[in-house]
Amino acid sequence: MRCAIVGSGLAALAGYATLRHGGLRPEEIVVLGTDEDPIACWRQRAAAIRQRRMRSESDGHLGAASFPGLALREAWRCGTLRPLVETVADRYHPTVEEFVRHAGQVVDSSGWQTSFVERRVERVRAVDGGFELDGDGPFAHVLIAAGHPGLRRLPGTVHAYEPHEYAAKVAIVGAGMAAATEWLNALAAGSEVVSIRRRDPVRRPLNVPRPFLTKRGLAPFHRLPDHERAARLRELTQPSYPPGRAWDEPLAEAARDGRFVVRPALEERTAADVQVIAATGFERGFDRDPLLADLVAAHGLETYDRRLVLAPDSTVPALTDPRRTLSIAGAPAQWAFPAADTIAGAKYAARAFLRRLCRTR
Amino acid sequence: MSYTLTGRIQSRLAAATPALLVALALHRWWAIELVALMLAAGLVLDSTVYHRFLGYQPAWLAVPLGILELALVYGLARELGIAAPLRGALLLYGLAWASAQLFAHAVYPRLRLEYGESGGELGRAGALTAVAVATTVVGGLGGAYAVRPPTVHLHGTVQGPLVIRHAQTIVGGVVRGGILIRADHVTLRDVTVVGGEYGVDIEHAQHVMLDHVRLMHFSLDGVRALDAGVMVDHCSVTAPDGPLTTGVLISYSMGRPMSMVSRCTIVGVREGISTHSSMVDVMDNHVIGTTVRAISLSEMSMDMASGNQVESVKGIGIVCMDHSTCEIKHNTIAGAEVDGDGDPSRHGVAIESYFYAEATVGHNTVIASPGGVRAFDNSTISEG
Repeated sequence: MRCAIVGSGLAALAGYATLRHGGLRPEEIVVLGTDEDPIACWRQRAAAIRQRRMRSESDGHLGAASFPGLALREAWRCGTLRPLVETVADRYHPTVEEFVRHAGQVVDSSGWQTSFVERRVERVRAVDGGFELDGDGPFAHVLIAAGHPGLRRLPGTVHAYEPHEYAAKVAIVGAGMAAATEWLNALAAGSEVVSIRRRDPVRRPLNVPRPFLTKRGLAPFHRLPDHERAARLRELTQPSYPPGRAWDEPLAEAARDGRFVVRPALEERTAADVQVIAATGFERGFDRDPLLADLVAAHGLETYDRRLVLAPDSTVPALTDPRRTLSIAGAPAQWAFPAADTIAGAKYAARAFLRRLCRTR
Repeated sequence: MSYTLTGRIQSRLAAATPALLVALALHRWWAIELVALMLAAGLVLDSTVYHRFLGYQPAWLAVPLGILELALVYGLARELGIAAPLRGALLLYGLAWASAQLFAHAVYPRLRLEYGESGGELGRAGALTAVAVATTVVGGLGGAYAVRPPTVHLHGTVQGPLVIRHAQTIVGGVVRGGILIRADHVTLRDVTVVGGEYGVDIEHAQHVMLDHVRLMHFSLDGVRALDAGVMVDHCSVTAPDGPLTTGVLISYSMGRPMSMVSRCTIVGVREGISTHSSMVDVMDNHVIGTTVRAISLSEMSMDMASGNQVESVKGIGIVCMDHSTCEIKHNTIAGAEVDGDGDPSRHGVAIESYFYAEATVGHNTVIASPGGVRAFDNSTISEG
């Protein structure tokens, strides 16, 4: 058994932990990526937007099994029932510190370092018996968890996920979780904030409605014809941030004081003295990722609306058969799992990948 | 969790395993019937209500839904006449509920990584477990049905005394001269008993149920239970023949399952309900016009009297006596009259503790009873 994980971020770690839980030894798995610390890149982004709490809940961790979740771990570690009470009411959101601590434990206990090879993979090719990665291989089973293709930048702005401070007047472009976090950050820093957005954000606790995290919502989603599925995905991936007083009260108070306004576009006459922060997330579409663009071009893979068309188990149908598996995790896997760019999405792909491996072992 | 319907059903069935194992270990039909009832009620709710209206079910909802299902199961158990002891039934339900939470939040996610994203579906092993649980329950019910006591419907008047030596259920009719019960698992339902020294005489038997039984013109006791475990519910005891009668007498039954006397109406006897060396719950009865005591808990008994109404009785309303330990709560005693012999312990005492007895009282209502609440002869009364 030889299997490879392409990428070395959170989705790769979730995949690795799942494979290890499934009984694979570290020497049976190779992780090819650019950073030995799978949390480093995410941690920098979280620090840039001064994120303190996760949007995810107790089971939003990188361990293979959902139980025990972060709420129970924190309750045990701190000797308090509060996290458990909060999680029962869906109000528990672990701190970034708690999440990172546990991720570190997963790295240490899984043997990640044993399997990690520092290398950027630029080409995946299907060959007889599996896949070649930049000419190496073949690997019978490959999980591509290469992460986002890059930040979606706007000319002349600083991106929210890059280190920055706040000027006296700040315009924040975007309406998702990062934008909402930046509104509060800038207000707390004493800035006047202009929210630049074309439409109001959706308010929901998680990235997608909860039924779309389970078979209840996924099975009907998978049955949709391509055009409807693409439309549903556009709807589900609209910018959103959670409801709640912690978000609303500071914004309402600032709006009353004239320190928070919403505009559809940045007015030219005020643009000169305003710091513009692009909370616009990441580049979208497989074609923005050189590795996936090359893979699609080389094998003529099916795409729709700039998305890779995947099987419900997040595999590439044309390149997956009983003897080999090519699976996608992370944002490019939204065709299979709308919240693919979350921890739940990483685990969904990883578990499906493990199931296929188990069938072929 | 956003369950699929299959996920709900499989999760529920497999999580019933601990309760089912306990029910099988108890060797009591009521326990298996109760587990079956819990599952049946739950599955009906799953398919008709929960699946339709709960697209997402947060963890906290398990508490109100658990209470709702408990109420439903309790009502159905009463309606179907499942003779389950209340405490045992509550414990079994509590076990089933707690194990459902433990399985859903810890065991299933640990054993099956994709439990959450599968909407509660358990895969092949889980589905087999669910089928095994369902099969066992149905098999158990079939067994219970196959060996259930025969039911005898009485029509018109039967000349007694009727002697019952085998498990059976007797429904309806009028029996003259009394009924003698000498077997376990006997149920009398809607039977009227006229005459006899004892209306119903139960000896050395348990799991005996008297449901809506009417007793009259007996010369000693309406119901006499000796070394027996008996549930008397909704009985009516009236018109005794003679001055030395007791409505319901339960004696020397400490080695038997707990007895219960509930929702009975007892009028005009010497003692309404009397226990000796037994464990009895005396609940929600209406005792009127007794000539010595309305409710007597005596001779090292360990009893509870709650929710009873005692009216116009001579001497004593409720008494805990002779080394007994009693809990006497939420009763109403109105018009306990002075028995004119000068004995202060019979001076219209509403609640009395007598001769080394220990009574714990609370939330009782005492009206027009000059003796009030009192302890005599080295006994104690405490608020609790």
